[in-house]
Amino acid sequence: MHWVSDILVVLLASAAVGVCRYVSGDRFWRENATELWRRRPFAIAIVGAYLLIALMDSISWVDPASDANALTSGKPRTIIDRLFVPETFTEASYSAPLASVAFYGGQPLLHPGAHLLGTDLLGRDVVYRTLKGVRVALLIGGLTSLVVIPIALLFGVSAGYFGRRIDDAVFFAMTVLASVPTLLLLIALIMVLGKGTVQVCVALGVTGWVHFCRIARGETLKLRETDFIAAARALGVRDGTIIRRHILPNIAHLVIITFALSFTALVLSETILSYLGIGLDGSWGQMIDQARNELSRTPVIWWNLTGASIALFTLVLAVNMIADAMRDVIDPRTRREG
Amino acid sequence: MRSHSAAMALLAALAAGVAAAGCTNNPYPQADRDKKVLYSSFHDAPKTLDPAVAYTTAEHVITGNVYDTLLEYHYLARPYRLIPGLAVSVPKGQDLPDGRQTYRFQLRPGVLFHPDPCFPPDATGRRTREVTAADLAFALARIADPAVNSPVIGSFAQIEGFADFSKRLEDLRRSDKAFAALPIREQYAKAGGIAGVLVHGGHELQIVLSQANAQILYWFAMPFTTPVAWEAVAAYDGKDGRDSFADHAVGTGPYRLALYEKQFRFSLARNELWYGTLSTNSDAPGAVFPTEIDPKDSIEGRIDPAYAGRRLPFVDRVTFYREREGIPQFNKLLEGYYDDGGIIKESFDAVIQNGRLSPAMRARGMRLDVTVEPSIFYVGFNMEDPVVGTPAGERGRKLRQAMSVAVDSRQYLELFLNGRGLPAQTLLPPEIFGYDSSYKNPFRQYDVERARQILADAGYKNGIDAATGNRLKLSFDTSATTAAASLQFEYLANSWRQIGIDVEINATTYNQFQDKVRHGAYQIFSWGWLADFPDPENFLFLLACENARSKNGGPNTASFCNAEFDSLYHQMKYLPNNARRADLIRRMLAILERERPWIELYHLEEFVLSHAWLVNSKPMGISYPAYKYKDVRPELRARLQGEWNAPLRWPLYLVLCAIVALTVPAVRTYYRERL
Repeated sequence: MHWVSDILVVLLASAAVGVCRYVSGDRFWRENATELWRRRPFAIAIVGAYLLIALMDSISWVDPASDANALTSGKPRTIIDRLFVPETFTEASYSAPLASVAFYGGQPLLHPGAHLLGTDLLGRDVVYRTLKGVRVALLIGGLTSLVVIPIALLFGVSAGYFGRRIDDAVFFAMTVLASVPTLLLLIALIMVLGKGTVQVCVALGVTGWVHFCRIARGETLKLRETDFIAAARALGVRDGTIIRRHILPNIAHLVIITFALSFTALVLSETILSYLGIGLDGSWGQMIDQARNELSRTPVIWWNLTGASIALFTLVLAVNMIADAMRDVIDPRTRREG
Repeated sequence: MRSHSAAMALLAALAAGVAAAGCTNNPYPQADRDKKVLYSSFHDAPKTLDPAVAYTTAEHVITGNVYDTLLEYHYLARPYRLIPGLAVSVPKGQDLPDGRQTYRFQLRPGVLFHPDPCFPPDATGRRTREVTAADLAFALARIADPAVNSPVIGSFAQIEGFADFSKRLEDLRRSDKAFAALPIREQYAKAGGIAGVLVHGGHELQIVLSQANAQILYWFAMPFTTPVAWEAVAAYDGKDGRDSFADHAVGTGPYRLALYEKQFRFSLARNELWYGTLSTNSDAPGAVFPTEIDPKDSIEGRIDPAYAGRRLPFVDRVTFYREREGIPQFNKLLEGYYDDGGIIKESFDAVIQNGRLSPAMRARGMRLDVTVEPSIFYVGFNMEDPVVGTPAGERGRKLRQAMSVAVDSRQYLELFLNGRGLPAQTLLPPEIFGYDSSYKNPFRQYDVERARQILADAGYKNGIDAATGNRLKLSFDTSATTAAASLQFEYLANSWRQIGIDVEINATTYNQFQDKVRHGAYQIFSWGWLADFPDPENFLFLLACENARSKNGGPNTASFCNAEFDSLYHQMKYLPNNARRADLIRRMLAILERERPWIELYHLEEFVLSHAWLVNSKPMGISYPAYKYKDVRPELRARLQGEWNAPLRWPLYLVLCAIVALTVPAVRTYYRERL
């Protein structure tokens, strides 16, 4: 099934190229993108690097079966796998960063001084595991946002634009959902749906749309009363067209900002779920969970936690900084000269 | 300025008060400092103290001390040996002509229940009474009673009429409401009792078994078969504000339950009326410290030979506090506030170095005792699976053999248990009859190249199925979802991946896992077993076809069925430990060696740290709390506790100085500006 992932990556990359072409062709978006780059070049570069790593970990292919290597033949391997060769780039157990001997016992390592962030209990390279976590984090953040935003837009805009019963129903649903402890609801959903990338994304999406829905509803309520919407109505434009041509473009900036902000919240939520033992395999949360007892060891084993924490912190900080700048740049009310 | 001075005086008084307070971290009352009190901890709160039901180690800590049994284990002898407890002697089975077997237990006279309000006062005003054989019969009837829900009901099924009594009781309760309303003792009497449990006079109990079973005696060394006072069961029914018998223990043991706050703490106090204190029982094996002392035990400081022949028990009170987390529990052990305890994984390397106690621990006078528990932890195959099981024939057998050779138990133990285990060669651990320390299982010697060769012989060269050209993919089902557990399964999967087998780990909830097992929808699983009693039958039954999970829902989760193994098992099952039994066991182990329904991983080792003031502490391995044999030296404990917990006052003084240094100028400024 690795080819499904490859096709999806190609499609996503094509879509990204298309978006870039559109942005460069549209004056509004081009100016905003230029301004964003001017304000947050490092943060954008960092997110770009994460995207590149995720891309390198998403494209895989199978080598012809070979007797020489029973560990890898017949299995799809990503570019990251090929760079690190995790089947052989391992040790017996823990080793400290750049160490030449094992952490316990002091036996010489198979790859002395080669493990930048040391190795974990099973002797796996921590840098490799950290890089493998990038794809999971971006998948969680991206895929879940793709679940959250359409739901929130559908309900929020419908409630705000049509009002009355629809507004009552949506508001009731939002209130009910908001009154259930999110973490408990998440755990319950994952227990029902089972563990897996899609399941976790759906669970996070189902519990995460309320906040954005409320914003979309409020903004739509405000837009509904504006002159140009009233004029469109007076001219007999249908509701669907008004929403498509006038409401949605005017809350597009909110979508982008919310996407960026919810992205980091979702990545952090997955970490919490992993800490509770119901997250995704290979995620930073799982690394942190596996490392929690290591901090109380004597001597302390800190590098597992450090690898995952730095990767998580850097991504969340960079995305938050970009989101902050986006709000300043795109939202006309907060736009100011940098 | 007067108020200024008053404020400064108040501040100084506060500082002095804070400095004077909190000079000790001792969690126990000062009055107990010189008393013979043994302090220990527990993690899981006991659920029940009903001896017919209590099964966990946490529960046995109480029931094993509060309730006496007819037989006991010799505290020091290894392999384990039964000695008389409440019984005058260990009975010998008498074979009856029709194939049945009978055991006659002679109960010691003068054994009294703990004084309790449930008993009417006797002539001397004491609220207790003598134990009779009828109390033992009552205890067995309770095990058979379906309403009691004893987890060991099946283990006594060989007592004649046991199952019939159980069914009769249930039928009568269902059909006759008046019967169901009767007191329990009357119900048992009206139901006719258990045919194979006979009471002769006040002090003789006879058990008749439908066939010979030497292992039945082990069950009389467990609290399940302790004498139970019907008065206590009747009085503590949990109704109208009365205690429940599950929380109110009335036994005959060397200790009585003096305090029971099960979520927080409990305390056992010396029973002054214990049978061991009677002059008539001065030679009772269960009432005096053993005289047969292994010289190794005394050389290593585990046992003090001066105690040989002395009357038990030695400590006046045993107090347990609940510790939910390992680190605080271990810290209190190191501070001297627990007398013994295990070693937490996180501190193992600081406590044990090169297989010995670290110099720092030795300097504290601590002692390390290691004992192999009668346990086996293993990876099992679903023997009904078409790929890894019996239907795959020779190919499946070789696949299992290859997977067995690819797992390195020693490294597994080092990585996940700090080496606290013995790599297993068979399912029988040391100290169990049939264990052969010289035996090396050819399929449990880690050798990746050999594993690859066996796999190739099975038609899976490098893990590729020669018939289909596809990689062999197997699934490993587990109910453990924690990060620590997932690492262990990942290790096993990696072991098999290195010979080319792709093993996917499916971690589910316990219920989902059970559901998979019920439906046979699994290939590989991992499980462990801690024996109820030290007999090979208690291990080998785990692979008997009659206990197959798929057929009878039994504990044979691998659903291993082998006619030859089953035949040998039935011959071996109830034999006493003799040469014939040893030969049968050897042949059974040879079948398991070849068939590989399990990959035997390890036998767990128990590491116990004890302080220098704790005397006669020898780990038993089995769930057998033996506090009556232990003693403490409170004066040494108090002295060392004082040395190890001397308050470190300078940080407090430093903080106080900082507060004063910051506050005084502020106060001065305030008054200067105000006045």
